[in-house]
Amino acid sequence: MTLFHFGNCFALAYFPYFITYKCSGLSEYNAFWRCVQAGATYLFVQLCKMLFLATFFPTWEGGAGVYDFIGEFMKATVDLADLLGLHLVMSRNAGKGEYKIMVAAMGWATAELVMSRCIPLWVGARGIEFDWKYIQMSFDSNISLVHYIAMAAVVWMFTRYDLPKSFRLPVAVLLGLCVYKAFLMELFVHVFMLGSWTALLVKAVLTGAISLCSLFLFITLVHSN
Amino acid sequence: MFEEASEVFENMFKSSFPLTFIVFLPAVLILVSPLPAEAAHEFTVYRMQQYDLQGQPYGTRNAILNTEARTVEAEVLSRRCVIMRLLDFSYEKYQKALRQSAGAVVIVLPQNMSTMPQDIVQQFMELEPELLATETIVPVYFALEDDELLSIYKQTHTSSSSQTSASAAEVLLHTATANGFQMVTSGAQSKAVSDWAITSIEGRLAGEGGEDLPTIVLVAHYDSFGVAPWLSYGADSNGSGVSVLLELARLFSRLYSYKRTRAGYNLLFFVSGGGKFNYQGTKRWLEDNLDHTDSSLLQDNVAFVLCLDTLGSGDSLHLHVSKPPKEGSPQHALLRELETVVSGQYPGVKFSMVHKKINLADDTLAWEHERFGIRRLPAFTLSHLDSHRAALRSSIMDVRPHVEMRKLSRNTKIIAEALARVVYNLTEKGAPSDLQIFTDQMQVQEDQLSSLVDWLTAQPRAAQLVDKDSSVVSTLEYHLGRYLKDVRKHYVKADKRDPEFVFYDQLKQTMNAYRVKPAIFDLLLAVCIAAYLGVLYLAVQHFGMLYGVLRRAAQPKSKQH
Repeated sequence: MTLFHFGNCFALAYFPYFITYKCSGLSEYNAFWRCVQAGATYLFVQLCKMLFLATFFPTWEGGAGVYDFIGEFMKATVDLADLLGLHLVMSRNAGKGEYKIMVAAMGWATAELVMSRCIPLWVGARGIEFDWKYIQMSFDSNISLVHYIAMAAVVWMFTRYDLPKSFRLPVAVLLGLCVYKAFLMELFVHVFMLGSWTALLVKAVLTGAISLCSLFLFITLVHSN
Repeated sequence: MFEEASEVFENMFKSSFPLTFIVFLPAVLILVSPLPAEAAHEFTVYRMQQYDLQGQPYGTRNAILNTEARTVEAEVLSRRCVIMRLLDFSYEKYQKALRQSAGAVVIVLPQNMSTMPQDIVQQFMELEPELLATETIVPVYFALEDDELLSIYKQTHTSSSSQTSASAAEVLLHTATANGFQMVTSGAQSKAVSDWAITSIEGRLAGEGGEDLPTIVLVAHYDSFGVAPWLSYGADSNGSGVSVLLELARLFSRLYSYKRTRAGYNLLFFVSGGGKFNYQGTKRWLEDNLDHTDSSLLQDNVAFVLCLDTLGSGDSLHLHVSKPPKEGSPQHALLRELETVVSGQYPGVKFSMVHKKINLADDTLAWEHERFGIRRLPAFTLSHLDSHRAALRSSIMDVRPHVEMRKLSRNTKIIAEALARVVYNLTEKGAPSDLQIFTDQMQVQEDQLSSLVDWLTAQPRAAQLVDKDSSVVSTLEYHLGRYLKDVRKHYVKADKRDPEFVFYDQLKQTMNAYRVKPAIFDLLLAVCIAAYLGVLYLAVQHFGMLYGVLRRAAQPKSKQH
């Protein structure tokens, strides 16, 4: 479409990050440089994942339209590396729990936004052809911000030494959900033949549910002792 | 935040030059990279004719198209690309689009023309010459219908017709839901093709008995004509004439291969090019033979020239003459023999002579024989059409199903029999009127004729598309060479300074239809996004409220632990 359309998509994708950064008080902690470090860790982890995938998961050449359940599951399992990466970032930052979580999640999500959505938006949304998918992509980036904050919180909780025994199971379940969310979404879309808008809605609801649960656990954990 | 960012960047640039390079080079590359062509639909379009004939421009003068699509129902058509379907095409609508200075016209034709109702086909056929009669500034394209294109047409149609009556809210809602289409052609502007050679082919069968034998010339032009060159298959006009000529060449070559059955006439076969452009090939051939050469069959003793034009259907045959033949001339003999054969063997066929004087004031000549008539050679044209103005002679609707093989082979038989009676002088020798020469092994082979017509209509043969190396020409040459002697090609190139004909390129292009939204949609979207971001800002600002609610909900539970 036009540059204006690109501006629209860009605003929709980036402003929530900016708002979150400003309102969460991260800017007062001088956290910018730490966020950049988190982003660098993201890049490193992705590179490792890619190398691993390319080495051990050769491209599956099945017929078109056939869903490779096992293969996709194994690929999603590689996303466990993200958890390690987030843990790495948080362990190198000293500070309060919220601060650590926010820095890691913001840096991580922003790095993802820059690396995986910037170029498609620039190339696609400026083209002559109009497509809703760029608006959807921008919404998706908002969802993924929430997703990474929840994920960082769960990782943080999981790695605490003073985690009560009763918390172990729900936190582990949430961890699993965070890692396999993309896989579950794909499965959903494939099984129920969801349209792009419905899929986005389902994703938003799923992410919302996960993050509410983890927020609840977090609050309980922080204020219980 | 920005101060920190700028500090970070400054440090980065100071410390390492290569890093700067890594950051900025991709950025520059992205900025200057061309936009990819990712079209909703891509289809082939065929441009309307564009040519100059004797300095007079015809057809569309433009090839570049980059505008939004509309149908005729829309109120404003200026600088829009107007899409029409053949089903509801009319000259008034076309004129309306042009009057409102439309940016372009795209006419969507059905995949298979023969499935169209006859009256629509007939109506379009009549319109074709009118579309070409004057020059059109805007590009006019023809496209063949497919499901995607049909859906584009329908969406454009609904959006065009709903614009006329709606409230502001409806229009707003409409802009968000409906799709507009930007039509873009990929090719460059059309330009004149220089040094285009039109090819004609001649071949002969030499008669027996002396030096100065009379010559019978058989002529048919092979090129086709229609409103769009790439769509003109010219089955009846003049695929039928060429196939009859080739079949006659085959039949008479068998007769002429034995000394005993060789007649006292030379037979000269000529397949001419550029027939739809005022018979350019024939004109040059005559000039070459009559003005430049010392000895030629055409100079010495021409009995008559028989031109074959449009013989593939109908139950009548018309012999078009520009001067009624004199009693006793070979011309008159052929007329009489044709009458004899028709009345004796095919009483169902109506045969008549049509007399029309050559009108030199006209832009174009009516029939091919007039080219010979101007050079004082006795000539006529045989056709099932009673007038040279018949729309069938220059239509894209003239496709393979128009030619009825049974009638084509019957006409071939009539011509062959009449010619044989002339060359062997059978009537004066007292042969009965129902004597059949071409029977048994010598008979007209309908399947061969049929395959000839199939081959001729397998590709468009417009004069702009058949160059001197094209398969049409080489196959024709090969086919004539099998039966005839001295097969030669003749080329016509337009004069550089004062060209008689000029052809233009870009006749076939790829058109892209991009889905687009109007500018108002972007504004609407911007407002929606601003509202969304506002809500989001408020939500993040008041995150503490959610936190508090959850904390209160969690506290009693946590005490239980």
